[in-house]
Amino acid sequence: MPSRPASLASARQSALLRLSAEIAASLEEEDVCQRVVAGLRDESLGYNLIGVFLLDENTGERILRACVGWDHVQVGMRIGAGHGLTEQALRSKKLSYTPDVAKAPDYVATFPTGSEVDVPLIVEGEAVGVLCVQSHDVDAFGKPDFEILTAAANQASIAIARARLLVNERKRADEQQALLDSMSDLASALELPKVLRAVLNRAVKLLGVAGGQVAIYHEATREMEIVASEIVDGDFIGTRLAYGEGAMGIVAKTLQGIVIPNYNEWIGRPELYSKSNIHSVMAAPLLIGGRLVGSIATTHGDPARVFGADDLRRLKLFAPQAAIAIENARLFTNADRQKQFFEAVVEASPVAIVTLDMKDDIVQLNPAFERLFGWTPDEVMGKNLDSLIATPETLAQARAYTSMAATQTAKGIGKRKRKDGSIIDVELFGVPVTVNGERIGVFALYHDVTELLRAKSEAESANKAKSQFLASMSHELRTPLNAIIGYSEMLEEDARDRKDTASVGDLEKIRSAGKHLLSLINDILDLSKIEAGRMDLIIEPVDLPAVIADVKATVQPLIARNGNTLEVSAAATLGTMYTDGTKLRQMLLNLLSNAAKFTEKGTVSLSVERAGGEIFFRVRDTGIGITPEQMSRLFEAFAQADAGTTRRYGGTGLGLAITRRFCRLMGGDVTGVSEAGSGSTFTIQLPADSRAAKPAPELAL
Amino acid sequence: MSAAKRVLLVEDNEMNRDMLSRRLQRRGFDVGIAVDGRAGVEMALTGGYDVVLMDMNLPEIDGWEAARQVRAGEQGRRVAIIALTAHAMQGDREKALAAGCDEYDTKPVDFERLLGKIATVLGSAP
Repeated sequence: MPSRPASLASARQSALLRLSAEIAASLEEEDVCQRVVAGLRDESLGYNLIGVFLLDENTGERILRACVGWDHVQVGMRIGAGHGLTEQALRSKKLSYTPDVAKAPDYVATFPTGSEVDVPLIVEGEAVGVLCVQSHDVDAFGKPDFEILTAAANQASIAIARARLLVNERKRADEQQALLDSMSDLASALELPKVLRAVLNRAVKLLGVAGGQVAIYHEATREMEIVASEIVDGDFIGTRLAYGEGAMGIVAKTLQGIVIPNYNEWIGRPELYSKSNIHSVMAAPLLIGGRLVGSIATTHGDPARVFGADDLRRLKLFAPQAAIAIENARLFTNADRQKQFFEAVVEASPVAIVTLDMKDDIVQLNPAFERLFGWTPDEVMGKNLDSLIATPETLAQARAYTSMAATQTAKGIGKRKRKDGSIIDVELFGVPVTVNGERIGVFALYHDVTELLRAKSEAESANKAKSQFLASMSHELRTPLNAIIGYSEMLEEDARDRKDTASVGDLEKIRSAGKHLLSLINDILDLSKIEAGRMDLIIEPVDLPAVIADVKATVQPLIARNGNTLEVSAAATLGTMYTDGTKLRQMLLNLLSNAAKFTEKGTVSLSVERAGGEIFFRVRDTGIGITPEQMSRLFEAFAQADAGTTRRYGGTGLGLAITRRFCRLMGGDVTGVSEAGSGSTFTIQLPADSRAAKPAPELAL
Repeated sequence: MSAAKRVLLVEDNEMNRDMLSRRLQRRGFDVGIAVDGRAGVEMALTGGYDVVLMDMNLPEIDGWEAARQVRAGEQGRRVAIIALTAHAMQGDREKALAAGCDEYDTKPVDFERLLGKIATVLGSAP
């Protein structure tokens, strides 16, 4: 070892101090490296070449970041892994000394002769680079050199670690800022295609990649649809990938990010991308709270560029934000589509539709409203609806409907005024309009029912006139008929006294025909009264056992005529019901006389029961019975089982129709069951108390 | 057998009056005729009739009013009154009984049924 002047020691000390001061002020990796080499440069120390190499994590190469005394190489020079003397220090993480470089097999020639010291730069236990010092002389370094260079390397390591930390901090801060930027303007963009393009564009820029794609997930078909693409060679928009197909399909399935380093050899590559210049791919799912919205993928075409863990971390950082932006746009698009659909429906509706604000002023109206009322939107916008279209007589009613519609559904019919002053009848329907829980106005429909009402009222008055005519006709017919019946009876009695049997028979026929005509007229009178709404109910307390006894006595002769027997089953405790007693008698007599008429040598029974709030009167016979087809027509006016029946059995065919109408007037009904050939049962069911009975008004129209 | 029962028929319709009176006479009744309510009341109170057949729809004063006046005016002996009303007039029966009638029958008259009712009121008459 050659000896050197004693001043060397102080030169070393001052170099180290200088270096410390230089490095302490430096916050960048590159700068640190330069200051290290600058600090150690001292002619008196005999360090002819000083260089700092830093390791490229991705490639394993060492890159020269700063150097002095090395004229024929440039900063940025790379030394491949496995070459050069610096390799030794990197691997062992210890100082390595080569006293004679010419003898070292790994030496990459810089100077033909000399010695070299390599000191590793250690950050968090990992060798990140090498401080390399050479002398032109063989075996020029000794222990003091090793000490000072180790101290310099340590200080450089600390400074590099600090600089890298700072870079990472800044990078994170920049990413956060970029995300914030993405968030604010993506969130406000609502057109889906634009949002998708923007999302992809951000991702490409943020990650510094060559291209990328975004696919959205269709839940119904479980497919991924490519909706944005920045891969130049190919038209991908609209293409669908199966769930699990390709990088985007796989991340949709696994819900994990994925890096595919050698895409062209990847077994999962869809045929779709076979012609694209894609070397490596990174993809991540787009999720909102665990729900899949779509996938995003980025690509590199350059084989030198490989996706690392940090890239994936950044993509994952970006993905949720992109997912929310896409979902917002999708929701808005759906809502917008619904709104457009709804507007089209309103526009095309044949019903007049008008929207009012909270002051009942017109906000919107459709073409049908223009046609119905004659006003154009410009003429009436902002005007009070009711003041505009209600007549003086209907203004109060119209306002009541509108104010009702502010809180609930309002329905009604009323007269309204058109622009030309003509009056129309409208059916109106109003509902409150509520947006996000807040009432903002009223939505009202108007339908012209002028013609309908006119037709209805004409039909009603025609019907009333008909009933009136029938009622008075019946009354007028009865008076002469009474005379016919009465006088024929008298003549019959005379003829009987004279033993004039031929005349008795003929007069009997006149009287019988007259009576039949009379009962027909009476039934028609009843029906027409019911239909004219003039059949009043006289609800009174009716003692059931008394009525039953009365009916039994009245019908007995008729029962006996066909050789039938009458069985009555009614508890003495039946008590009183509130009903129209006269009509009840008439109905029971009708059922019993029908039973007697259509039964021969059989049994007719009447049973009366109280059950719940109702009284059931059952009339059963063992007669000819009725087929279901006949039964269905039986309660219609003028219907007997068939036309021949009237001739054979007599009767008007109106009895059951009247009975049914009476029952329904009183809030009950009459029904029949039968089997042709084995008798029939008719049941009258009436409320035990009809005092509150309000027969449903006949449905108009 | 007692003397013929005396029946007063109060009826404004000529044909009905003719028919009913003749049929009643054939059955052995002694029939008196009144053509309006006022005459009916007077005859019922003074004629010594056993039964009055009172049409309810009468000129001058109607049957109900006539029945009330008879009841109000008679002293001691009480004449039976049977009200006759048109078919399907609701509440007529109650109205007639409330006016003082003893029985009620509907027109057109079923002669045999009317005879039954006459027999009933006469049988129950004091």
